[in-house]
Amino acid sequence: MEAYVGYFLYFLSLLTVGGIYAIFALGLNVQWGFAGLFNVGIVGFAAVGAYTYALLTTAGSTFHLGGFGLPLPFGMFMGMALSGVIAGLIGLICIRLRSDYLAIATIGIAEIIKLILKNETDITNGPRGINKIPRAWEHFSETRFYTDWPMSWFGTPENWEAFFDSLPNWYWQPLFAATIILSMYVIYRMLERARTSPWGRMMTAIRENEPAARAAGKDVTRRRIEAFVIGASIMGLAGALFAQHLRLIEPTNTFDPSKVTFLVWVMLITGGSGNNRGAILGAFLIWTIWSASELVISGGIELVENIFSTLDPSILQTRAGFLRMMLIGILMQVILQRYPGGILPEVRPASPKAENDTREPTGETK
Amino acid sequence: MKNVLMATAATLLATTAMAEVNIGNPMAMTGPIPDLNAPIAQAVDLAATHINDQGGMFEAGEAFNIIRADSACDPVAAVDAVTKLINVNGVAAIVGPVCSGAAIAQAESVSIPAGVVTLSVSASSPAITSMEDGTDLVFRAAASDAYQGVALAELAMANGMMDIAVSYANDDYNAAIAEVFVKAYQGMGGTVTANEAHEPNKASYRSEVATIGATSENLALFSYYGSGGITLMRNALETGAFMNFIGADGMLSDELIEQIGAENLMTSTFTTSASDSSTPSFAAWAELADAAGVPASDPFVANGYDATFMMALAIEHAGSADREAIAESLRAIASGPGVMILPGQWAEAKVLLAAGFNINYEGAAGNQDFDENGDVAGNFSKSTIVDGAWAAELIQ
Amino acid sequence: MWEFVNYYFIPGLVLGCIYALGAIGITLTFGILRFANFAHGEIMMSGSYLTWTVMAIAAGAGLTLHPLVAMVPAAVMVILLFLATDRYFYKPFRKEDTIKVVMASFGMMLIIRSAVQVIWGPNQITFVRGIAKPNATLSEITANWGLQIMMPNKHLFIFAGTIVLVIALGYLLNRTRIGKAMRAVSDSPDLAHVTGIDVDKVIRATWIVGGICATAAGVFLVMDTQMLETTMGFRMLLPMFAAAILGGIGKPYGAVFGGLVIGLAEELSAYPWIGTAPLLSPGYKTGVAFAIMVVMLIVRPQGLFKGRSF
Repeated sequence: MEAYVGYFLYFLSLLTVGGIYAIFALGLNVQWGFAGLFNVGIVGFAAVGAYTYALLTTAGSTFHLGGFGLPLPFGMFMGMALSGVIAGLIGLICIRLRSDYLAIATIGIAEIIKLILKNETDITNGPRGINKIPRAWEHFSETRFYTDWPMSWFGTPENWEAFFDSLPNWYWQPLFAATIILSMYVIYRMLERARTSPWGRMMTAIRENEPAARAAGKDVTRRRIEAFVIGASIMGLAGALFAQHLRLIEPTNTFDPSKVTFLVWVMLITGGSGNNRGAILGAFLIWTIWSASELVISGGIELVENIFSTLDPSILQTRAGFLRMMLIGILMQVILQRYPGGILPEVRPASPKAENDTREPTGETK
Repeated sequence: MKNVLMATAATLLATTAMAEVNIGNPMAMTGPIPDLNAPIAQAVDLAATHINDQGGMFEAGEAFNIIRADSACDPVAAVDAVTKLINVNGVAAIVGPVCSGAAIAQAESVSIPAGVVTLSVSASSPAITSMEDGTDLVFRAAASDAYQGVALAELAMANGMMDIAVSYANDDYNAAIAEVFVKAYQGMGGTVTANEAHEPNKASYRSEVATIGATSENLALFSYYGSGGITLMRNALETGAFMNFIGADGMLSDELIEQIGAENLMTSTFTTSASDSSTPSFAAWAELADAAGVPASDPFVANGYDATFMMALAIEHAGSADREAIAESLRAIASGPGVMILPGQWAEAKVLLAAGFNINYEGAAGNQDFDENGDVAGNFSKSTIVDGAWAAELIQ
Repeated sequence: MWEFVNYYFIPGLVLGCIYALGAIGITLTFGILRFANFAHGEIMMSGSYLTWTVMAIAAGAGLTLHPLVAMVPAAVMVILLFLATDRYFYKPFRKEDTIKVVMASFGMMLIIRSAVQVIWGPNQITFVRGIAKPNATLSEITANWGLQIMMPNKHLFIFAGTIVLVIALGYLLNRTRIGKAMRAVSDSPDLAHVTGIDVDKVIRATWIVGGICATAAGVFLVMDTQMLETTMGFRMLLPMFAAAILGGIGKPYGAVFGGLVIGLAEELSAYPWIGTAPLLSPGYKTGVAFAIMVVMLIVRPQGLFKGRSF
């Protein structure tokens, strides 16, 4: 029985983390899929969102700025807002750059953001990071929450304590996973509306043929900045959720570009850039492969060990970890070459004329 | 989805073939410190080998099985790895991780909510001491930086260093211990002439060295040897900026001798949380380690052995691999009163426990008696070069 | 004064030479093939690992090779590696959007780094033991002139090597047919094609030149740090991009200049220009290159030497 609970919890964790990555991918899709902006600085926006949330909601501490004890949703909202603001500033400066220049600039800016977070130790506790980050739904069972309003309106601390003791210790996991999936769904619907709206059509026009769009009088720069900011805010939210999942964030290892930025790009390209459903699919698929591949590789190593008992197992294990990264890299190359549109290629929003047209959409994507 | 099914099938096959005790071992195999990590992993495996060779677990001689996962010194990987270890592999307890960030994240995110004991091999952040709120599930086999920093400050004063410059790698371990050191040192009357961070993994630290070199002839260097520590020391020696060096266990490694040369390290002293090599525990450990080709004095290697061995003792003491009983048993076997058990003495311990006696494990890296927070006290040794190799001497 | 020269200026130049050589490859790729090659740092690193392997094999056979000698077979292997990645991973996207080939190079970066970690292991490897003392002859000579310059042999080799390569590059680009063809393609590929220049040959030449410079940069780096590790590539990549952008895309001399400037800026930023504390906290040193790059991209994307701009 316990084994089944274990598998269920692992499945929930796949949903949780996959969902967070899906939100990242949706944000990237706004920047890349809608507006054709090559943002390789995802990690920077994630860090801003995560740290804002952490600083606003953690308890007071001698190590870092804190003690505001603001409500969790407000913390998440501020994470989104601050990410958006910073994206706006970056956008004002960089949006005119061509694709690979923008890529280099965004990587550089993300690294600078991380350096600031690392060096301003009075605020952020520097490389040691911020821990005890309250996690949605689980935070109710923490003393400092149930002794304070609004929970204290509904019961005394003793009642609350008894209540939480009676729940299984994983009670919050389904709720947390559900919250993330719900947020993902809400964002998805909003983006789908945006895609088929006049704004979305204009973004596609700008992306496909900028001179024509300009000639038609569209303010290309402003639209691009809008897309950049919206995408970054979504990434900020994902960053705040990420902080809740980990409960500890620090500037060097948590926000490693080869894990966060690169994985999200692989997810989007695999799932189908330009397609919101593709972003979600890609996120869950790649995360499951990434997470489960460790199990498969360890199982594989055990098999190899049993067959070749002379090999030194610890060397094999250490080096096998790097194989995972290599396989994901190769996977991406294969997808880029064979299935450039991804699994779910972009679907153009139907125009009134196209509805009367019986031709298939070209399903092309950049 | 198919991948997940295949993976779970593979692990089911692998882990339920026969009744065995499974321990999760998240280690930083990839990530920033693979060379620090590799000998620690060897020590963990060595402990498991000793246990299995000397009778295994319980009456039935069940296998003591280490399931290793990659925590990459990264909270994200650690959380994912431990989630799998606890939920898919169904481990009884966690021995690891190596890095404080990974340890705190996985504990707060996964293992404490799941009620699983964590015994970290080497996480030394002071934040771990006050991490838990009413639970008693997190322990560590390495002393908190709060102790080592003080010990190092005392060492500096004892060596007559009235002023010192400090350079620390900007990561969680080294920044923390540097801070403790500076406070303690100043409190003892010393003058810190410079206190600068340096980024790990850089190609050249010449300007950092030059900047602080002018201020003092003593340097307190807090860095991992593999992540720039060696380079910084080399730059310092090349330019003659500093005469004397002290530092913490991140720098203590044979690799330093290998790369810089023993003749250039005569004025360097590094501390580590190891016990006096004249104690029977360390002697027993050194003998076992040398026989197995594991570097006995490398940072945290002995702690890795101790943590694994203690976990096995705890489970044996509890009589079953039930998660709930382990924390209490861990405390019971770690401290006195009881018959002293040294590293490698699994068969003896088994007999004693079966007969109902108390035991007290004295570890290779220190007496490993847990205080109320699950921390162990600092027993430190300082190492200097004697005859071309590191020789450790206990600091009183 | 001499402290400044010996501990800040010269190290800055050494770092600058390494950045410069790497940036040459990047700027050529950017100019002729028109994309930012993110895998360049990792290729540099493979060059140094391969050099070490050559030296180790030779040592096994009883020979001691100087790194600069062992560099030659390693450079050949690196060139083959470059050509192979081009054929299988970049060529399919030649006619498509830049974005695809940049993503492919991103993927190559991870593949190559992981491959090196799997083959050679993640541990550090000692390249040269011991510490390098300043060259006695040089100190003596300069002392006679009233100067006080101290440089270890390795730095002398690095400077000499860089100068030789840059001169050779200059000769190649200005005096040989293929060099002029390369410059033509860099300015305008279609026009070059029309005048009968074999663009494929030029592309191959680009990878060859880039490969030689990358291997040299990698070897100089490990000669300076005296050890090999797997994070070297990415660490160097962004400053090298900064150098290429600073100098102007497609201008090799610009890349050399850019590299030297960035190297100097990084080392000199920690100098106590005002008072006794360093001007910039050393923790931010790595940020110097990024900051310069971002500023250049905004203020003058065509770089100092008027390369291509977008």
